[in-house]
Amino acid sequence: MPVGFSPLAGVLALSMPLLAWGQNARPPQNPENGGDFSSNVQPLTKVPEGVILVKGAWSSASDSVTPMPEGGRVTNNVFSDPYFGISYAPPSGWTQKFEGPPPSDSGRYVLAQIRPADGYTGATRGSILITAHDMFFTPLPASNALQLATYMTKNLSADYKLEEPLTPTKIAGRPFTFYAYWSPVAQLHWYVATTQIRCHAVEFVASSRDTKLIESLLLGMDKMTLPAEAGPSAGLGGGAAPVCIKDYASDKNMTTRVEPIFTDHKFNAVPVRIIIDKKGKVKHTHFLSAFPDQAKAITDALTQWRFKPYIRDGQPVEVETGIMFGRAPRPRAPAANAATE
Amino acid sequence: MIKKGRLASVLTLVALFLAGTAFAQTDPGVQGGNRGTGVALSSVLRDDNPGILAFFNDGLSRFQEVESVSGGANNGLGPRFNSNSCSSCHAQPAVGGTGAAVNPQFAFAGSSVAPKDATPFFITANGPTREARFPFFFNSNGSANTNAPNGGVEDVFTVSGRSDAGVCSLPQPSFNAARSANNIIFRIPTPVFGAGLIENLDDSTLLNNQAKNFNNNLGISGTFNRNGNDGTISRFGWKAQNKSLHIFSGEAYNVEMGISNLLFTQDRPLPGEDQMQRGFPVNCLNLSGGGYPEDANNPGSQGAAVLDDVSAFANFMRTIAPAPTGPVVLNGNTVSATSISNGSALFSSIGCATCHNPTPGSTQKSNITGSLSNAPVNAFSDIEVHHMGAGLADNVSQGGAGSDQFRTAPLWGLGQRIFLLHDGRTTDLLSAIQSHESNGSEANTVEQNFDNLNSSQQQDLLNFLRSL
Repeated sequence: MPVGFSPLAGVLALSMPLLAWGQNARPPQNPENGGDFSSNVQPLTKVPEGVILVKGAWSSASDSVTPMPEGGRVTNNVFSDPYFGISYAPPSGWTQKFEGPPPSDSGRYVLAQIRPADGYTGATRGSILITAHDMFFTPLPASNALQLATYMTKNLSADYKLEEPLTPTKIAGRPFTFYAYWSPVAQLHWYVATTQIRCHAVEFVASSRDTKLIESLLLGMDKMTLPAEAGPSAGLGGGAAPVCIKDYASDKNMTTRVEPIFTDHKFNAVPVRIIIDKKGKVKHTHFLSAFPDQAKAITDALTQWRFKPYIRDGQPVEVETGIMFGRAPRPRAPAANAATE
Repeated sequence: MIKKGRLASVLTLVALFLAGTAFAQTDPGVQGGNRGTGVALSSVLRDDNPGILAFFNDGLSRFQEVESVSGGANNGLGPRFNSNSCSSCHAQPAVGGTGAAVNPQFAFAGSSVAPKDATPFFITANGPTREARFPFFFNSNGSANTNAPNGGVEDVFTVSGRSDAGVCSLPQPSFNAARSANNIIFRIPTPVFGAGLIENLDDSTLLNNQAKNFNNNLGISGTFNRNGNDGTISRFGWKAQNKSLHIFSGEAYNVEMGISNLLFTQDRPLPGEDQMQRGFPVNCLNLSGGGYPEDANNPGSQGAAVLDDVSAFANFMRTIAPAPTGPVVLNGNTVSATSISNGSALFSSIGCATCHNPTPGSTQKSNITGSLSNAPVNAFSDIEVHHMGAGLADNVSQGGAGSDQFRTAPLWGLGQRIFLLHDGRTTDLLSAIQSHESNGSEANTVEQNFDNLNSSQQQDLLNFLRSL
């Protein structure tokens, strides 16, 4: 035995690694299922492909019945959006291959993206984009569709040349404003027809290298269904829809207001549209873009809000308005008579 | 014998076919040669702020150091890691870039770097250098639990069996089970050339650029990922989840190499080890023997050497110049300047530049070096995060960015990148462009515009991109 060697010390030394693993309470190469480990290489279910399960700030609503702008769908070759009261049948052989993104925190919607279907045999290709700008939230300096179209034509990128200046027109019997521009380099043309519905500027953007194709696309739009309120400087709701009023949630129209308290996400813009019932209570809430914790906090606050009933022609009517919660760092659109009362 | 008439028609068909081939658009591929990428900013080379060049060189040197677990010149690696040196991942086309053609990770398992580990299926000899993430935790029966988001990095390698790691022995994450459950996604390294310019863009510049781009008829409307502490715009990483180059460095040192530091002060277990309160076994802690954090300042040193590694890395990234543009060779022939110029104009005209903004603005005055002051940032990015659709979504949320939201990837240096998109799924530019469209993508209309170009125009655009 070497000098100084202790049998006890030898045993302790040998057992140290075991003690260390004892604290881990599992063999290192065979961890139990859970966390980052799984012994199941033939799981019954898989994470679905192409489905967004983990969302950031996203759109949601207080109920699933009330139509929302982003609720438009292309089915049986017809685009219909119950919120806007639009029904439009694209040309035969055209369809929506991909849906658009969710509403943005600046109030931008992609309602439909229509293009020739796979197998299309037409001589030239093109596309139809149907979008909406929520005029309560758009950061562009415009308060109605006409002002928005005016701004767009005056601020075209240097890549484009204006082909047709802003021109009043009618599509399907309803007033629109129309303009066109093109890219000399790309040889692509864009024809834009804009109207306003429920305080949203709704745009139909047809694009192609072939102007005859675009013209035929626009002519085909003459058969679409639009609500009676549609108009570039009209479109303030009413009829079957609530009247829409910008910045209606102000002290002069309210009797009770409680601010939501954000505890987790605090720095994003949270645009919210609400419908106020005839008695002054919030009956529907649409979050254009909110994290779930924010939606809950806002919902908790809005249930306590009370408005004075809005009277039109001697009768209380429902009102739709927008409130920007959270941080809205962008320049706000100036208020104008067209969308305020 | 073919009759004359028939011969003529056959020849015509051949000619048409060849013409079609000539105009079929092709990614010119990774451009060779030395474009001068990887050097310091010009004012740094002049050492305009005395000592700044020493900072750059010191950072460059440390960026290439190979880390050991213990007993070496640079200690602290592990217990889990993806690689053992910054430059092993940030390598192409120069130190500071992105993944190289030969993936160094492929040689780790079974070698002295990771002797007890296996090479997982997604690490290949000539594939992208990668990190892996599990979007969801596994539950107790071993299947992915889609109600339990994970999303953290699952380090590929462990120090198990290394001669400098004592008896620490750890299992690798369950990569094969994750593949079976479709519960694994990948990321490749982002290049850092010109990163100091991006860092020095004032928030107001980015916000003004965003406001300017709202007037598009493309359905594009991005937002910013914001720092959870102060609400300002964060800007580094695939989802713009990191506010500054210091945080970017500190996180990478900790997550990718397992080295605790002044910003991330503990050894990092896997997300599930943390969630299940396992942590590391004690014999895998303080493997360097020097205590925590494993990377710290060096008060006894002089000059740049006094800095901690994270600060040195950040200095290097902050002061390295953007990748220069260069000529493009396609099928052995140099592409004409006209083609590249036309491609640039097309890039803007069809809407690519709405997000991949050639110059989102100029920097604010810098307190570091002249080249970072009032300089245009030709990054081809708006630094916003955009919805890129289900086709690119990875079910990983970082900061305010959801699973389909990605920072507009800066395109400067694209001409010499090999692997494209956040996970390196393709090496082909055309495929990368086409991946921009899927359900829920803001880029669908722009991609459609690209499809509406003729082949010659598309070729010009690809040529332009490889000139960057």
